[in-house]
Amino acid sequence: MRARARGLTLVEVLVGTALGLVVAASLAHAVASGGRLLASASARAEAEDTLQLAVETLAFDVRRAGWDPAAAGLAPLVEAEADGFGVVADLDGDGGIDAAGDELVRWRCDREGRRLVRTVGRQPMPLAEGVVACAFAYAARGGAPLAPPLDAAARAAVAAVGLDVRLAPAGRAPSARRVRVALRVAP
Amino acid sequence: MRRARERGTALPAAVVALAVSVALGAGLADLLRTEVVLARERIAAATALAAVDACAARTLAAVPAGWELDGLVAGPDATPGTADDGRLADEPGCRAVAAPAPGAPAPARVVVTAEARVPRARRVLEAVIGRAAVPGAATLVWLDGGPGASRVSGTAVLDGRGPEPHWAALAAPADPETLDGWLAEAPGVDAARAAPPRFAPPPPFTTLAVRAAAAAPAGTAPLVPPPAVPAPAVSFAPADLPLDGAWAGAGLLVVDGVLEIRGTVTFTGVVAATRGIAVRAGGTLAVTGAVWAGGAEPLAIAGTLAVRRDDAAVETADAVLPLPRLPRLLAVRDVG
Repeated sequence: MRARARGLTLVEVLVGTALGLVVAASLAHAVASGGRLLASASARAEAEDTLQLAVETLAFDVRRAGWDPAAAGLAPLVEAEADGFGVVADLDGDGGIDAAGDELVRWRCDREGRRLVRTVGRQPMPLAEGVVACAFAYAARGGAPLAPPLDAAARAAVAAVGLDVRLAPAGRAPSARRVRVALRVAP
Repeated sequence: MRRARERGTALPAAVVALAVSVALGAGLADLLRTEVVLARERIAAATALAAVDACAARTLAAVPAGWELDGLVAGPDATPGTADDGRLADEPGCRAVAAPAPGAPAPARVVVTAEARVPRARRVLEAVIGRAAVPGAATLVWLDGGPGASRVSGTAVLDGRGPEPHWAALAAPADPETLDGWLAEAPGVDAARAAPPRFAPPPPFTTLAVRAAAAAPAGTAPLVPPPAVPAPAVSFAPADLPLDGAWAGAGLLVVDGVLEIRGTVTFTGVVAATRGIAVRAGGTLAVTGAVWAGGAEPLAIAGTLAVRRDDAAVETADAVLPLPRLPRLLAVRDVG
């Protein structure tokens, strides 16, 4: 008992401290790596979810463009540019378009704000932040590309609308989507 | 007491590190599980979207060629105001119901609500179904079934060239590959200048014959000996029509039976024969427009059949008597 209660020598303390520091540093590194991995995976997952939502919303809007049950002769695309387009749908079947309501939907690549924005009527709804690349594409029947901006005659030949978008959340690897959605009222 | 004080901090540090690691691991696992669930939901949603598109396409394919679409709203019993009004498709995974479209009755159209169910998802869309702007079936030869017992021991030249897309050589309510196989195996058929065969509902011969009879009650066929050029008109033959010698016609020729060509006949417009077209050896039928044929042996070609696409000729036939049109999906919207 006396020998055990003798205390620690300086060497024992130094070695113990060194070993403790090494173990603590390893643990701290492992925990920090785990934290970074979690944060990175979360950010990537959020970017992927954001892009997927944008793609699904684009498909929803483009598929219903030109919905015209009253046969009023609506043109589905009201504008078609590289950084935005607008589609209409006569949702209430009254033969007209309520531009202030959800019958007119515009998409815009806001390059300054690094956002992808969907405007329903007059209500803008940012779909994605941290957009580093964004452009809309148009194709005729058969897939031939149509160079925007398109006038009314060219818009009448559009059979598909595409979106190329890339998100890069701060300090994270970018996520990208390239999608083409066929108009269901294709010429 | 003394021993407890000497125990050090290794165990608490290890426990804390373990707890933090477990928390991080749990967070990562939860994130992954969430993403897996989201991915599964997306797969189900995409499957349901494809299923409802297919449901709408099958519904469209089952709509007969014709003029109006009132029959769809009346349901299978063709009687408005009954329980089956609007029912189009009712099979596992696909249900479709038709309702009148809002607005003026013309042009003919209906709103079809299609619902598809797949495991873990359900999808509903509305579709506006109307009639194609172009009369007929954009084909040189439109059959009411497959080729059946058709024989081509002579020559059949099918030229579908024109504004893109070219017209199909054949259209029928049959598998296009079967039609293509028949064309390939018929040695006398030259369809190199036509698009491949395609599916189409049968031509509505019964109604067409009734309409043609009403438009041409005398039953006289306004065919004239060449080189005279006849004015486009409706010609109706209530039974088999054998033609000897040389004749020319224009507009719409409807034969409620077999059109038998023993001489040389040139026609500009649409030639329809409910029980088939027979061109005997030495005979020639040259049509600028389209040919519609029905019966068990729609084509029996021992002589020469030449059909050349001409949109204007078909439109002229449509002008003398409105022709049937294929159903067409005019617009779609997802509703749930």
